[in-house]
Amino acid sequence: MTADELSRIANRLRLDVVETVHDAGDGHPGPCMSIADIMAVLYFEEMKLDPQNPRWPERDRFILSKGHACPILYAALARRGYFPLEELKGLRSLGSFLQGHPDSKKIPGVDTVSGSLGNGVAIGTGMAMGCRMQGIDNYVYVIVGDGEEEEGIIWEAAMAAAKFKLGNLIVFADLNNHQSGGRVTDLSSLYPVPDKWAAFHWHVQSIDGHDIPAIQNAIAEAKKVTDRPSIICCKTLKGKNIPYMEDNNAWHKRVPTDEEVEIARQALKDKL
Amino acid sequence: MSTKSTREAAMLAIQEAARKDDKIVIVSPDAVAAARATKFREEFPDRVIEVGIAEQDAVDIAAGLASTGMKPVVVTYAGFLTMRACEMIRTFVAYPGLNVKFIGLNGGMLGGEREGVTHQFYEDVGILRSMPGVKVLCPADAQQAKEAASAMLEQEGPVYLRLGSGREPEVFPEGTPFTYGKLRVVKSYGHDVAVFASGFVMDRAIQALEELKEQGINATLADVSTLKPLDEEGVAKLLTACGRAVTVEDHNIYGGLGSAVCEAACRLAPCKVLRLGLQDVYPRSGKAAELLDAYGLSVQDIVNTAKEAMK
Repeated sequence: MTADELSRIANRLRLDVVETVHDAGDGHPGPCMSIADIMAVLYFEEMKLDPQNPRWPERDRFILSKGHACPILYAALARRGYFPLEELKGLRSLGSFLQGHPDSKKIPGVDTVSGSLGNGVAIGTGMAMGCRMQGIDNYVYVIVGDGEEEEGIIWEAAMAAAKFKLGNLIVFADLNNHQSGGRVTDLSSLYPVPDKWAAFHWHVQSIDGHDIPAIQNAIAEAKKVTDRPSIICCKTLKGKNIPYMEDNNAWHKRVPTDEEVEIARQALKDKL
Repeated sequence: MSTKSTREAAMLAIQEAARKDDKIVIVSPDAVAAARATKFREEFPDRVIEVGIAEQDAVDIAAGLASTGMKPVVVTYAGFLTMRACEMIRTFVAYPGLNVKFIGLNGGMLGGEREGVTHQFYEDVGILRSMPGVKVLCPADAQQAKEAASAMLEQEGPVYLRLGSGREPEVFPEGTPFTYGKLRVVKSYGHDVAVFASGFVMDRAIQALEELKEQGINATLADVSTLKPLDEEGVAKLLTACGRAVTVEDHNIYGGLGSAVCEAACRLAPCKVLRLGLQDVYPRSGKAAELLDAYGLSVQDIVNTAKEAMK
Protein backbone atom coordinates (compact mmCIF):
# COMPACT_ATOMS: atom_id res chain seq x y z
CA MET A 1 0.00 0.00 0.00
CA THR A 2 1.34 3.47 -0.81
CA ALA A 3 1.97 6.10 1.82
CA ASP A 4 -0.80 8.19 0.28
CA GLU A 5 -3.28 5.34 0.55
CA LEU A 6 -2.34 4.74 4.18
CA SER A 7 -2.63 8.44 4.93
CA ARG A 8 -6.16 8.41 3.48
CA ILE A 9 -7.03 5.40 5.61
CA ALA A 10 -5.77 7.29 8.65
CA ASN A 11 -8.07 10.18 7.82
CA ARG A 12 -10.96 7.78 7.21
CA LEU A 13 -10.36 6.43 10.72
CA ARG A 14 -10.28 9.99 12.09
CA LEU A 15 -13.64 10.74 10.54
CA ASP A 16 -15.00 7.43 11.84
CA VAL A 17 -13.98 8.56 15.33
CA VAL A 18 -15.73 11.92 15.00
CA GLU A 19 -18.90 10.22 13.78
CA THR A 20 -18.70 7.44 16.37
CA VAL A 21 -18.30 9.77 19.34
CA HIS A 22 -21.05 12.01 17.93
CA ASP A 23 -23.46 9.11 17.44
CA ALA A 24 -22.62 7.46 20.76
CA GLY A 25 -22.77 10.76 22.64
CA ASP A 26 -19.62 9.94 24.61
CA GLY A 27 -15.93 9.20 24.18
CA HIS A 28 -12.44 10.64 23.76
CA PRO A 29 -11.92 11.90 20.19
CA GLY A 30 -8.81 14.09 20.57
CA PRO A 31 -6.43 11.34 21.72
CA CYS A 32 -7.42 9.21 18.70
CA MET A 33 -6.25 11.72 16.13
CA SER A 34 -2.60 11.75 17.15
CA ILE A 35 -2.25 8.00 16.63
CA ALA A 36 -4.32 7.65 13.44
CA ASP A 37 -1.32 7.36 11.14
CA ILE A 38 0.37 4.75 13.33
CA MET A 39 -2.89 2.79 13.50
CA ALA A 40 -3.26 2.89 9.70
CA VAL A 41 0.25 1.52 9.18
CA LEU A 42 -0.17 -1.18 11.81
CA TYR A 43 -3.66 -2.41 10.91
CA PHE A 44 -3.61 -1.94 7.14
CA GLU A 45 -0.06 -2.93 6.33
CA GLU A 46 2.19 -4.16 9.06
CA MET A 47 0.41 -6.54 11.38
CA LYS A 48 -0.07 -10.22 10.75
CA LEU A 49 -3.78 -10.70 11.47
CA ASP A 50 -6.74 -12.82 10.49
CA PRO A 51 -10.03 -11.00 11.10
CA GLN A 52 -11.88 -14.27 10.46
CA ASN A 53 -9.91 -15.90 13.27
CA PRO A 54 -9.27 -13.19 15.86
CA ARG A 55 -7.60 -15.62 18.30
CA TRP A 56 -5.20 -17.08 15.73
CA PRO A 57 -2.22 -17.95 17.96
CA GLU A 58 0.41 -16.90 15.42
CA ARG A 59 -1.00 -13.39 15.01
CA ASP A 60 0.80 -10.20 15.93
CA ARG A 61 -0.55 -8.67 19.13
CA PHE A 62 -1.64 -5.08 19.64
CA ILE A 63 -2.13 -3.20 22.90
CA LEU A 64 -3.62 0.28 23.04
CA SER A 65 -2.20 1.16 26.41
CA LYS A 66 -3.78 4.62 26.20
CA GLY A 67 -7.08 2.79 26.03
CA HIS A 68 -9.29 5.87 26.12
CA ALA A 69 -8.38 6.29 22.43
CA CYS A 70 -10.33 3.13 21.68
CA PRO A 71 -12.75 4.69 19.17
CA ILE A 72 -9.95 4.62 16.61
CA LEU A 73 -9.05 1.04 17.50
CA TYR A 74 -12.67 0.02 17.05
CA ALA A 75 -12.83 1.89 13.73
CA ALA A 76 -9.69 0.08 12.53
CA LEU A 77 -11.08 -3.30 13.61
CA ALA A 78 -14.41 -2.60 11.90
CA ARG A 79 -12.73 -1.54 8.70
CA ARG A 80 -10.51 -4.64 8.79
CA GLY A 81 -13.67 -6.75 9.00
CA TYR A 82 -13.73 -7.88 12.62
CA PHE A 83 -17.30 -6.58 12.96
CA PRO A 84 -19.71 -4.41 10.95
CA LEU A 85 -19.14 -0.65 10.82
CA GLU A 86 -22.68 -0.02 12.08
CA GLU A 87 -21.62 -1.41 15.45
CA LEU A 88 -19.44 1.67 16.06
CA LYS A 89 -22.39 3.84 16.98
CA GLY A 90 -23.10 1.52 19.91
CA LEU A 91 -19.88 2.62 21.62
CA ARG A 92 -20.30 2.81 25.41
CA SER A 93 -23.96 1.81 25.34
CA LEU A 94 -25.46 -1.06 27.30
CA GLY A 95 -26.52 -3.22 24.38
CA SER A 96 -23.19 -2.97 22.57
CA PHE A 97 -20.03 -5.03 22.93
CA LEU A 98 -17.95 -1.88 22.32
CA GLN A 99 -16.91 -1.01 25.85
CA GLY A 100 -15.72 2.39 27.01
CA HIS A 101 -12.18 1.05 27.05
CA PRO A 102 -10.60 -1.85 25.13
CA ASP A 103 -11.89 -5.18 26.34
CA SER A 104 -10.52 -8.50 25.18
CA LYS A 105 -13.37 -10.34 26.83
CA LYS A 106 -16.09 -8.72 24.74
CA ILE A 107 -14.54 -7.36 21.55
CA PRO A 108 -13.18 -9.53 18.72
CA GLY A 109 -9.68 -8.47 17.72
CA VAL A 110 -8.81 -6.86 21.06
CA ASP A 111 -5.89 -8.68 22.69
CA THR A 112 -6.11 -7.32 26.24
CA VAL A 113 -8.09 -5.17 28.59
CA SER A 114 -6.49 -1.72 28.65
CA GLY A 115 -7.11 1.85 29.63
CA SER A 116 -6.05 1.81 33.23
CA LEU A 117 -3.01 3.80 32.28
CA GLY A 118 0.55 2.53 32.34
CA ASN A 119 -0.11 -1.19 32.06
CA GLY A 120 0.32 -1.79 28.34
CA VAL A 121 4.09 -2.19 28.24
CA ALA A 122 4.08 -4.69 31.10
CA ILE A 123 1.30 -6.77 29.56
CA GLY A 124 3.06 -6.55 26.20
CA THR A 125 6.24 -7.76 27.87
CA GLY A 126 4.40 -10.84 29.10
CA MET A 127 2.85 -11.43 25.69
CA ALA A 128 6.17 -11.07 23.91
CA MET A 129 7.77 -13.47 26.37
CA GLY A 130 4.92 -15.98 26.11
CA CYS A 131 5.01 -15.96 22.31
CA ARG A 132 8.77 -16.38 22.28
CA MET A 133 8.66 -19.26 24.79
CA GLN A 134 6.20 -21.07 22.54
CA GLY A 135 8.21 -20.48 19.38
CA ILE A 136 5.68 -18.10 17.85
CA ASP A 137 7.37 -15.85 15.30
CA ASN A 138 5.52 -12.59 15.70
CA TYR A 139 5.60 -9.06 17.11
CA VAL A 140 3.80 -7.39 19.97
CA TYR A 141 2.96 -3.74 19.28
CA VAL A 142 2.02 -1.30 22.02
CA ILE A 143 0.96 2.35 21.82
CA VAL A 144 1.55 4.32 25.01
CA GLY A 145 0.63 7.93 25.58
CA ASP A 146 3.15 10.37 26.95
CA GLY A 147 1.08 11.27 30.01
CA GLU A 148 0.77 7.64 31.07
CA GLU A 149 4.54 7.33 31.16
CA GLU A 150 4.24 9.14 34.47
CA GLU A 151 3.05 5.80 35.88
CA GLY A 152 5.78 3.87 37.71
CA ILE A 153 4.83 0.53 36.20
CA ILE A 154 5.91 1.79 32.78
CA TRP A 155 9.48 1.85 34.04
CA GLU A 156 9.18 -1.47 35.85
CA ALA A 157 8.19 -2.93 32.49
CA ALA A 158 10.94 -1.04 30.68
CA MET A 159 13.46 -2.76 32.96
CA ALA A 160 11.99 -6.23 32.52
CA ALA A 161 11.56 -6.08 28.74
CA ALA A 162 15.18 -4.98 28.32
CA LYS A 163 16.40 -7.67 30.71
CA PHE A 164 14.64 -10.34 28.69
CA LYS A 165 15.97 -8.89 25.39
CA LEU A 166 12.53 -8.83 23.82
CA GLY A 167 13.31 -7.97 20.22
CA ASN A 168 9.71 -8.93 19.38
CA LEU A 169 8.29 -6.01 21.39
CA ILE A 170 7.81 -2.70 19.58
CA VAL A 171 6.33 0.24 21.47
CA PHE A 172 5.14 3.55 20.02
CA ALA A 173 5.16 6.55 22.33
CA ASP A 174 2.50 9.04 21.25
CA LEU A 175 4.15 12.30 22.26
CA ASN A 176 1.36 14.85 21.81
CA ASN A 177 2.29 16.67 25.03
CA HIS A 178 -1.24 16.58 26.37
CA GLN A 179 -2.90 14.59 29.08
CA SER A 180 -6.28 14.87 30.77
CA GLY A 181 -5.26 17.72 33.03
CA GLY A 182 -3.14 19.76 30.64
CA ARG A 183 0.34 19.79 29.11
CA VAL A 184 2.54 16.86 30.05
CA THR A 185 5.44 19.27 30.37
CA ASP A 186 3.47 21.31 32.92
CA LEU A 187 2.26 18.36 34.97
CA SER A 188 5.47 16.37 35.20
CA SER A 189 9.17 16.27 34.43
CA LEU A 190 8.77 13.35 32.01
CA TYR A 191 10.28 15.07 28.99
CA PRO A 192 12.61 14.43 27.23
CA VAL A 193 11.14 10.97 26.68
CA PRO A 194 13.63 9.18 24.37
CA ASP A 195 16.56 9.61 26.78
CA LYS A 196 14.71 7.74 29.49
CA TRP A 197 14.01 4.70 27.36
CA ALA A 198 17.62 4.75 26.15
CA ALA A 199 18.73 4.73 29.78
CA PHE A 200 16.67 1.56 30.23
CA HIS A 201 18.61 -0.06 27.35
CA TRP A 202 15.88 0.10 24.75
CA HIS A 203 16.48 0.66 21.05
CA VAL A 204 15.15 4.18 20.57
CA GLN A 205 14.05 6.06 17.46
CA SER A 206 12.43 9.47 17.20
CA ILE A 207 10.15 10.34 14.30
CA ASP A 208 7.26 12.52 13.16
CA GLY A 209 4.27 10.37 14.09
CA HIS A 210 2.26 11.68 11.16
CA ASP A 211 4.88 10.83 8.52
CA ILE A 212 3.78 7.50 7.09
CA PRO A 213 7.09 6.53 5.43
CA ALA A 214 8.89 7.46 8.65
CA ILE A 215 6.59 5.13 10.62
CA GLN A 216 7.16 2.33 8.11
CA ASN A 217 10.93 2.81 8.18
CA ALA A 218 11.02 2.94 11.95
CA ILE A 219 9.18 -0.39 12.19
CA ALA A 220 11.60 -1.92 9.68
CA GLU A 221 14.54 -0.64 11.74
CA ALA A 222 13.01 -1.90 14.97
CA LYS A 223 12.61 -5.37 13.46
CA LYS A 224 16.34 -5.49 12.70
CA VAL A 225 17.06 -5.22 16.41
CA THR A 226 16.61 -8.69 17.85
CA ASP A 227 18.26 -8.39 21.24
CA ARG A 228 16.42 -5.37 22.65
CA PRO A 229 12.87 -4.07 22.75
CA SER A 230 12.25 -1.01 20.60
CA ILE A 231 10.50 2.24 21.24
CA ILE A 232 9.53 4.60 18.47
CA CYS A 233 9.04 8.05 19.96
CA CYS A 234 6.49 9.82 17.78
CA LYS A 235 6.09 13.58 17.87
CA THR A 236 2.38 14.03 17.27
CA LEU A 237 -0.43 16.56 17.37
CA LYS A 238 -3.44 15.86 19.55
CA GLY A 239 -6.56 16.34 17.42
CA LYS A 240 -4.51 16.13 14.20
CA ASN A 241 -6.42 17.02 10.98
CA ILE A 242 -9.67 17.99 12.71
CA PRO A 243 -9.36 21.79 12.64
CA TYR A 244 -11.10 22.63 15.89
CA MET A 245 -9.43 19.77 17.76
CA GLU A 246 -5.79 20.34 16.81
CA ASP A 247 -3.64 20.89 19.90
CA ASN A 248 -6.83 21.75 21.82
CA ASN A 249 -7.08 19.70 24.98
CA ALA A 250 -10.76 20.56 25.39
CA TRP A 251 -11.25 17.69 22.94
CA HIS A 252 -9.62 15.13 25.20
CA LYS A 253 -13.16 14.02 26.00
CA ARG A 254 -15.96 15.85 24.28
CA VAL A 255 -18.80 15.10 21.91
CA PRO A 256 -18.89 16.93 18.57
CA THR A 257 -22.14 18.66 17.56
CA ASP A 258 -23.86 17.99 14.22
CA GLU A 259 -22.18 21.11 12.88
CA GLU A 260 -18.75 20.06 14.13
CA VAL A 261 -19.15 16.67 12.46
CA GLU A 262 -19.89 18.50 9.22
CA ILE A 263 -16.81 20.69 9.64
CA ALA A 264 -14.71 17.56 10.08
CA ARG A 265 -16.22 15.98 6.96
CA GLN A 266 -15.45 19.08 4.95
CA ALA A 267 -11.91 19.31 6.30
CA LEU A 268 -11.17 15.71 5.36
CA LYS A 269 -13.24 15.31 2.20
CA ASP A 270 -10.29 15.56 -0.17
CA LYS A 271 -8.05 13.51 2.08
CA LEU A 272 -10.06 10.31 2.30
CA MET B 1 4.05 -29.58 67.97
CA SER B 2 6.41 -29.96 65.02
CA THR B 3 6.35 -27.52 62.17
CA LYS B 4 6.71 -27.90 58.43
CA SER B 5 6.93 -25.28 55.72
CA THR B 6 3.81 -24.57 53.71
CA ARG B 7 6.03 -22.70 51.26
CA GLU B 8 8.20 -25.72 50.50
CA ALA B 9 5.26 -28.06 50.36
CA ALA B 10 3.31 -25.95 47.89
CA MET B 11 6.34 -25.36 45.70
CA LEU B 12 6.99 -29.11 45.58
CA ALA B 13 3.53 -29.56 44.07
CA ILE B 14 4.17 -26.79 41.52
CA GLN B 15 7.49 -28.39 40.57
CA GLU B 16 5.90 -31.82 40.16
CA ALA B 17 3.17 -30.35 37.97
CA ALA B 18 5.73 -28.44 35.92
CA ARG B 19 7.37 -31.72 34.90
CA LYS B 20 4.16 -32.73 33.19
CA ASP B 21 3.14 -29.33 31.83
CA ASP B 22 5.74 -27.13 30.12
CA LYS B 23 3.38 -24.14 30.11
CA ILE B 24 3.77 -23.70 33.87
CA VAL B 25 6.21 -20.89 34.70
CA ILE B 26 6.95 -18.94 37.84
CA VAL B 27 6.88 -15.15 37.81
CA SER B 28 8.90 -13.71 40.66
CA PRO B 29 9.30 -10.15 41.90
CA ASP B 30 12.50 -11.16 43.72
CA ALA B 31 10.71 -13.90 45.62
CA VAL B 32 12.34 -17.11 44.41
CA ALA B 33 14.08 -17.71 47.72
CA ALA B 34 11.10 -16.58 49.77
CA ALA B 35 8.79 -18.90 47.86
CA ARG B 36 11.30 -21.75 48.22
CA ALA B 37 11.51 -21.96 44.45
CA THR B 38 15.28 -22.33 44.16
CA LYS B 39 14.96 -26.05 43.41
CA PHE B 40 12.34 -25.27 40.79
CA ARG B 41 14.79 -22.80 39.25
CA GLU B 42 17.58 -25.38 39.28
CA GLU B 43 15.39 -27.84 37.41
CA PHE B 44 13.71 -25.27 35.12
CA PRO B 45 16.07 -22.29 34.80
CA ASP B 46 14.20 -20.91 31.79
CA ARG B 47 10.84 -21.14 33.49
CA VAL B 48 11.44 -18.72 36.32
CA ILE B 49 10.73 -15.20 35.13
CA GLU B 50 12.51 -12.95 37.58
CA VAL B 51 11.35 -9.35 37.13
CA GLY B 52 13.03 -7.76 40.13
CA ILE B 53 11.21 -6.04 42.98
CA ALA B 54 8.20 -5.03 40.90
CA GLU B 55 4.97 -6.72 41.91
CA GLN B 56 2.68 -4.76 39.60
CA ASP B 57 4.90 -5.59 36.67
CA ALA B 58 4.96 -9.25 37.72
CA VAL B 59 1.17 -9.50 37.65
CA ASP B 60 0.81 -7.69 34.32
CA ILE B 61 3.55 -9.83 32.79
CA ALA B 62 1.71 -12.89 34.06
CA ALA B 63 -1.46 -11.59 32.42
CA GLY B 64 0.40 -11.18 29.14
CA LEU B 65 1.91 -14.65 29.43
CA ALA B 66 -1.45 -16.23 30.21
CA SER B 67 -3.06 -14.49 27.24
CA THR B 68 -0.70 -16.48 25.00
CA GLY B 69 -1.53 -19.79 26.66
CA MET B 70 1.20 -19.98 29.29
CA LYS B 71 0.28 -20.87 32.89
CA PRO B 72 2.11 -18.43 35.14
CA VAL B 73 2.27 -18.73 38.91
CA VAL B 74 3.07 -15.40 40.56
CA VAL B 75 4.80 -15.85 43.90
CA THR B 76 5.51 -13.21 46.52
CA TYR B 77 4.41 -11.83 49.86
CA ALA B 78 0.65 -11.74 50.25
CA GLY B 79 0.35 -8.01 50.82
CA PHE B 80 2.71 -6.88 48.10
CA LEU B 81 0.72 -9.07 45.76
CA THR B 82 -2.83 -8.30 46.82
CA MET B 83 -2.37 -4.68 47.81
CA ARG B 84 0.38 -3.21 45.67
CA ALA B 85 -0.69 -5.16 42.60
CA CYS B 86 -4.36 -5.24 43.55
CA GLU B 87 -5.64 -3.44 40.47
CA MET B 88 -3.52 -5.54 38.13
CA ILE B 89 -4.98 -8.71 39.60
CA ARG B 90 -8.49 -7.36 39.32
CA THR B 91 -8.48 -5.66 35.94
CA PHE B 92 -5.96 -7.59 33.88
CA VAL B 93 -6.29 -11.10 35.31
CA ALA B 94 -9.59 -11.56 37.12
CA TYR B 95 -11.82 -9.62 34.75
CA PRO B 96 -10.68 -11.40 31.58
CA GLY B 97 -10.48 -14.66 33.58
CA LEU B 98 -6.89 -15.40 32.64
CA ASN B 99 -5.23 -18.53 33.87
CA VAL B 100 -2.86 -16.94 36.39
CA LYS B 101 -2.20 -18.50 39.79
CA PHE B 102 -1.10 -16.49 42.81
CA ILE B 103 0.82 -17.65 45.85
CA GLY B 104 0.76 -15.17 48.73
CA LEU B 105 3.37 -15.64 51.47
CA ASN B 106 3.20 -14.42 55.06
CA GLY B 107 -0.55 -14.70 55.18
CA GLY B 108 -1.79 -13.46 58.56
CA MET B 109 0.15 -11.95 61.44
CA LEU B 110 1.57 -15.38 62.18
CA GLY B 111 3.06 -15.39 58.70
CA GLY B 112 4.84 -12.12 59.22
CA GLU B 113 5.40 -12.57 62.96
CA ARG B 114 8.63 -10.76 63.85
CA GLU B 115 8.68 -8.63 60.68
CA GLY B 116 5.96 -6.31 61.94
CA VAL B 117 3.04 -4.65 60.22
CA THR B 118 4.79 -4.07 56.87
CA HIS B 119 5.15 -7.82 56.38
CA GLN B 120 2.04 -9.16 58.13
CA PHE B 121 -1.00 -9.41 55.92
CA TYR B 122 -4.51 -9.91 57.21
CA GLU B 123 -6.52 -8.16 54.50
CA ASP B 124 -5.55 -10.34 51.53
CA VAL B 125 -8.53 -12.69 51.69
CA GLY B 126 -10.99 -9.82 52.03
CA ILE B 127 -9.48 -7.99 49.09
CA LEU B 128 -9.55 -11.00 46.82
CA ARG B 129 -12.92 -12.31 47.94
CA SER B 130 -14.39 -9.03 46.74
CA MET B 131 -13.12 -9.60 43.19
CA PRO B 132 -15.46 -11.54 40.91
CA GLY B 133 -13.86 -14.64 39.48
CA VAL B 134 -11.02 -15.13 41.96
CA LYS B 135 -10.87 -18.34 43.96
CA VAL B 136 -9.23 -18.25 47.38
CA LEU B 137 -7.57 -21.20 49.10
CA CYS B 138 -6.30 -21.16 52.66
CA PRO B 139 -4.80 -24.50 53.68
CA ALA B 140 -4.17 -25.36 57.33
CA ASP B 141 -0.67 -26.86 57.20
CA ALA B 142 2.11 -28.03 54.91
CA GLN B 143 0.44 -31.29 53.97
CA GLN B 144 -2.70 -29.40 53.00
CA ALA B 145 -0.70 -26.67 51.25
CA LYS B 146 0.80 -29.21 48.88
CA GLU B 147 -2.61 -30.66 48.10
CA ALA B 148 -4.05 -27.18 47.74
CA ALA B 149 -1.32 -26.17 45.28
CA SER B 150 -2.17 -29.19 43.13
CA ALA B 151 -5.87 -28.39 43.37
CA MET B 152 -5.13 -24.79 42.37
CA LEU B 153 -3.38 -25.86 39.19
CA GLU B 154 -6.34 -28.00 38.23
CA GLN B 155 -8.65 -25.00 38.30
CA GLU B 156 -9.08 -22.78 35.24
CA GLY B 157 -8.67 -19.06 35.84
CA PRO B 158 -7.26 -17.06 38.72
CA VAL B 159 -6.72 -18.77 42.07
CA TYR B 160 -5.01 -17.38 45.17
CA LEU B 161 -3.21 -19.71 47.55
CA ARG B 162 -2.48 -18.28 50.98
CA LEU B 163 0.72 -19.52 52.60
CA GLY B 164 2.58 -18.64 55.77
CA SER B 165 6.04 -18.05 57.08
CA GLY B 166 7.34 -21.54 56.50
CA ARG B 167 7.04 -22.59 60.16
CA GLU B 168 3.50 -23.84 60.34
CA PRO B 169 2.37 -26.43 62.91
CA GLU B 170 1.81 -29.85 61.38
CA VAL B 171 -1.83 -30.68 61.94
CA PHE B 172 -3.00 -33.31 59.51
CA PRO B 173 -1.43 -36.68 58.64
CA GLU B 174 -0.16 -37.51 55.16
CA GLY B 175 -2.96 -38.56 52.89
CA THR B 176 -5.52 -36.15 54.35
CA PRO B 177 -7.54 -35.01 51.34
CA PHE B 178 -7.76 -31.36 50.36
CA THR B 179 -11.43 -30.96 49.65
CA TYR B 180 -11.54 -28.15 47.11
CA GLY B 181 -14.78 -26.19 47.37
CA LYS B 182 -16.01 -28.16 50.38
CA LEU B 183 -15.44 -27.70 54.06
CA ARG B 184 -14.16 -30.75 55.89
CA VAL B 185 -15.26 -31.76 59.37
CA VAL B 186 -12.07 -32.31 61.33
CA LYS B 187 -13.61 -33.44 64.59
CA SER B 188 -17.17 -33.80 65.76
CA TYR B 189 -17.93 -34.40 69.40
CA GLY B 190 -21.44 -33.06 69.14
CA HIS B 191 -23.52 -30.10 68.07
CA ASP B 192 -23.31 -27.78 71.06
CA VAL B 193 -21.40 -25.26 68.97
CA ALA B 194 -19.79 -25.17 65.52
CA VAL B 195 -16.20 -24.00 65.13
CA PHE B 196 -15.13 -22.95 61.66
CA ALA B 197 -11.37 -22.49 61.26
CA SER B 198 -9.14 -21.66 58.34
CA GLY B 199 -5.38 -21.58 57.91
CA PHE B 200 -2.49 -21.99 60.30
CA VAL B 201 -4.50 -21.55 63.46
CA MET B 202 -6.07 -24.97 62.97
CA ASP B 203 -3.92 -26.52 65.72
CA ARG B 204 -5.37 -24.05 68.20
CA ALA B 205 -8.90 -24.78 67.11
CA ILE B 206 -8.27 -28.51 67.56
CA GLN B 207 -6.87 -27.93 71.06
CA ALA B 208 -9.84 -25.75 71.91
CA LEU B 209 -12.22 -28.49 70.81
CA GLU B 210 -10.54 -30.93 73.21
CA GLU B 211 -10.61 -28.38 76.02
CA LEU B 212 -14.29 -27.75 75.44
CA LYS B 213 -14.97 -31.47 75.52
CA GLU B 214 -13.23 -31.72 78.87
CA GLN B 215 -15.58 -29.03 80.09
CA GLY B 216 -18.56 -30.97 78.85
CA ILE B 217 -19.15 -28.96 75.69
CA ASN B 218 -19.29 -31.09 72.57
CA ALA B 219 -18.37 -29.09 69.51
CA THR B 220 -17.81 -29.76 65.82
CA LEU B 221 -14.77 -28.31 64.05
CA ALA B 222 -14.74 -27.69 60.30
CA ASP B 223 -11.69 -26.78 58.21
CA VAL B 224 -12.77 -24.21 55.66
CA SER B 225 -9.82 -24.33 53.30
CA THR B 226 -11.67 -22.95 50.28
CA LEU B 227 -12.77 -19.47 51.24
CA LYS B 228 -14.12 -18.72 47.78
CA PRO B 229 -16.21 -20.30 46.48
CA LEU B 230 -17.43 -20.95 50.01
CA ASP B 231 -19.20 -24.22 50.69
CA GLU B 232 -22.34 -22.37 51.76
CA GLU B 233 -24.44 -25.52 51.95
CA GLY B 234 -21.86 -27.19 54.17
CA VAL B 235 -21.69 -24.14 56.42
CA ALA B 236 -25.48 -23.93 56.63
CA LYS B 237 -25.76 -27.62 57.48
CA LEU B 238 -23.45 -27.23 60.46
CA LEU B 239 -25.08 -23.99 61.56
CA THR B 240 -28.48 -25.61 61.45
CA ALA B 241 -27.24 -28.53 63.48
CA CYS B 242 -25.45 -26.41 66.10
CA GLY B 243 -27.44 -23.19 66.14
CA ARG B 244 -24.36 -21.14 67.07
CA ALA B 245 -20.83 -20.81 65.83
CA VAL B 246 -17.33 -19.40 66.26
CA THR B 247 -14.97 -18.59 63.41
CA VAL B 248 -11.20 -18.70 63.87
CA GLU B 249 -8.78 -17.18 61.39
CA ASP B 250 -5.50 -15.29 61.22
CA HIS B 251 -7.04 -12.41 59.27
CA ASN B 252 -8.91 -9.27 60.10
CA ILE B 253 -12.46 -10.08 61.18
CA TYR B 254 -13.67 -8.17 58.12
CA GLY B 255 -13.54 -9.87 54.75
CA GLY B 256 -12.22 -13.30 55.63
CA LEU B 257 -13.66 -16.54 56.98
CA GLY B 258 -15.79 -14.82 59.64
CA SER B 259 -17.44 -12.58 57.11
CA ALA B 260 -17.95 -15.42 54.65
CA VAL B 261 -19.60 -17.63 57.26
CA CYS B 262 -21.85 -14.76 58.38
CA GLU B 263 -22.87 -14.07 54.79
CA ALA B 264 -23.85 -17.71 54.36
CA ALA B 265 -25.58 -17.73 57.76
CA CYS B 266 -27.71 -14.72 56.90
CA ARG B 267 -28.97 -16.32 53.74
CA LEU B 268 -29.34 -19.95 54.76
CA ALA B 269 -29.24 -20.47 58.54
CA PRO B 270 -29.41 -17.28 60.63
CA CYS B 271 -27.86 -17.77 64.07
CA LYS B 272 -25.29 -16.31 66.43
CA VAL B 273 -21.78 -16.29 64.94
CA LEU B 274 -18.84 -14.87 66.89
CA ARG B 275 -15.70 -14.05 64.93
CA LEU B 276 -12.19 -14.58 66.23
CA GLY B 277 -9.35 -13.00 64.33
CA LEU B 278 -7.69 -9.62 64.38
CA GLN B 279 -10.31 -7.33 65.85
CA ASP B 280 -9.75 -4.59 63.26
CA VAL B 281 -6.40 -3.55 64.72
CA TYR B 282 -2.81 -3.60 63.48
CA PRO B 283 -0.63 -5.96 65.49
CA ARG B 284 3.15 -5.73 66.02
CA SER B 285 6.38 -7.75 65.90
CA GLY B 286 6.74 -10.78 68.12
CA LYS B 287 7.14 -14.53 68.25
CA ALA B 288 4.35 -16.25 66.33
CA ALA B 289 2.75 -18.08 69.23
CA GLU B 290 3.00 -15.08 71.54
CA LEU B 291 1.47 -12.83 68.92
CA LEU B 292 -1.53 -15.06 68.38
CA ASP B 293 -2.06 -15.22 72.13
CA ALA B 294 -1.68 -11.46 72.48
CA TYR B 295 -4.17 -10.67 69.76
CA GLY B 296 -7.03 -12.87 70.82
CA LEU B 297 -6.29 -16.17 69.13
CA SER B 298 -5.18 -18.27 72.09
CA VAL B 299 -6.77 -21.65 72.75
CA GLN B 300 -8.41 -20.10 75.80
CA ASP B 301 -9.84 -17.31 73.64
CA ILE B 302 -11.44 -19.88 71.36
CA VAL B 303 -12.82 -21.81 74.33
CA ASN B 304 -14.21 -18.67 75.97
CA THR B 305 -15.75 -17.44 72.73
CA ALA B 306 -17.41 -20.78 72.11
CA LYS B 307 -18.96 -20.58 75.58
CA GLU B 308 -20.00 -17.01 74.91
CA ALA B 309 -21.72 -18.15 71.72
CA MET B 310 -23.71 -20.66 73.75
CA LYS B 311 -25.12 -18.06 76.13
